[in-house]
Amino acid sequence: MKATWFFLRKEGLVHWRRGRFLLIGLVFLLFALESPLVARLTPQLLKSMGNGIQITLPAPTSVDSWTQFYKNIDQLGIFLFAIVWSGSIAAEVKSGTLVNLVTKGLPRYAVVLAKFALAAATWLLALLGSFLVTWAYTTYYFKDALTPHVWQGLWPLALYGLMVIAITLLGSAATQSSFAGFIAVAASVVVMGLGDMWRPLRRFNPLSLTTNALPWVRGTKTLTSVAPAFALTVLITGGCLALAIVALNRRRL
Amino acid sequence: MALVELQHVSKAFKDQPVLTDLSLAVPEGSIYGFVGENGAGKTTTMKLILGLLQRDAGTITVAGRPVVYGGAAVAAGIGYLPDVPEFYDELTPSEYLSLCGRLTGIDGRELPQRIAAMLKTVGLPQNRRRIRGFSRGMKQRLGVAQALLARPRLLIADEPTSALDPTGRREFLDLLASLRGETTILLSSHILGDVERICDHVGILHGGRLQAQGPLKALLAAHAQAKVALGFADAATTQQAAAVLHVAAAAKPVAAGAAPQPDATAVTATTLLLPAAQGLTQALQPALAALLAQGLVPVRVSPVQPSLEDLFMEVTR
Repeated sequence: MKATWFFLRKEGLVHWRRGRFLLIGLVFLLFALESPLVARLTPQLLKSMGNGIQITLPAPTSVDSWTQFYKNIDQLGIFLFAIVWSGSIAAEVKSGTLVNLVTKGLPRYAVVLAKFALAAATWLLALLGSFLVTWAYTTYYFKDALTPHVWQGLWPLALYGLMVIAITLLGSAATQSSFAGFIAVAASVVVMGLGDMWRPLRRFNPLSLTTNALPWVRGTKTLTSVAPAFALTVLITGGCLALAIVALNRRRL
Repeated sequence: MALVELQHVSKAFKDQPVLTDLSLAVPEGSIYGFVGENGAGKTTTMKLILGLLQRDAGTITVAGRPVVYGGAAVAAGIGYLPDVPEFYDELTPSEYLSLCGRLTGIDGRELPQRIAAMLKTVGLPQNRRRIRGFSRGMKQRLGVAQALLARPRLLIADEPTSALDPTGRREFLDLLASLRGETTILLSSHILGDVERICDHVGILHGGRLQAQGPLKALLAAHAQAKVALGFADAATTQQAAAVLHVAAAAKPVAAGAAPQPDATAVTATTLLLPAAQGLTQALQPALAALLAQGLVPVRVSPVQPSLEDLFMEVTR
């Protein structure tokens, strides 16, 4: 575990100096500022564009703000992580940076674990930060009581993000391509999307952790409805990490 | 005693045999030159010793302990310098060496001094400059530093000079030579001049097998053909002499199955090179007799020391 910690510190320093944290922080801050604002301005925007046409829109609420937030993170934010970590293992294998460290006693599993730990911590912090800012702005703009359970939408999304990171690392450990991590995520989203069409499966589908967060936030549904999906997502995350370690163990350095 | 020992090692990549029944022994304290053409299997052999590849057959021991695939080479006392060492561009050499040192298990309090001393040894400045923008030569120096930081018993260096310019190469070889006695070095190369310069032991790999190995001097004496150079006064005499020796060589009875003695070859306009496998006297006696009979007098007669190149050519033929 010591080796994992040393490698994790190296990862942190390299990512910091490459400006990755700044990039992710800025993007997630943008989401946080944008979500309530877009929700608030959408009616005016539509009105100004639809000149002459009579549009009647309900007044925006905090529901619109949170909808916008989950859409942003689910459709853009998570993929930013898949992109940033897409080639992280493949690149180290390909360039030969791992050879030096592995011959010095760095176990290969430490590479996978450290990379997961860093990406996961970054994801959770960025998500939390973005969430808190959105929350502050939303309560500032919309003084309604339509979204009483704000935290309820966050847990499933946080877990889903961890799974996406694990899938990214598996893709990157199993192949030589620097796009493999991203492609693995894209492919699994497609598979989950297809699975979503079959209703009985939905309770198990990890995708249901992100696509429909608002009922939980509004309190019309409880998280127990997706308990099987929770369990399956945890299993997939663990399974992907284990497979990534196996894959890296088999790679020729 | 052999520090590294390979016995009957075989390795194939997807049915493509790279090493077949390779046996090799690197004596403790030696600088062992591992020679072979590109693709002969030098890197594969080194990675097998490092536990980075899985062998198909045979045994490998380092300091008497068997090598296991995936085991940390450093635990076995091996430092490794890859042919083109790669680092993290965003780190400084000190930061990189610190990571290496910690992974190796060097005490954290001792580490800064060790790193400073090592940077000095390899001739890299200790400052905040990052590895991004380092030249090949500087990366090679850092490569040596990371390989030697844990004071290994054995340094494995894969084609370490192939990417360096003449000055860099000279400095690098001097650095390796300065380790003689402290560290056993296994060095692969296809640059025979480099090997001849610093190695005291040589192994020649060809076709996945070790064709010859042992102390360089003994090998040269045993294998490489000694030659003798005959110098003549002018080019015309030299040509006549060549014709005479050609006749002389061809007239010699050839034992059944044995390869015929190669003819004398002209190396310059006034010098002929005569093979002297059975000793100088044996070669010179008939040749000089034949020449003198024709009134051709060599003005210079000098034995030629066999080189590693001759040896290499002979055993890989």
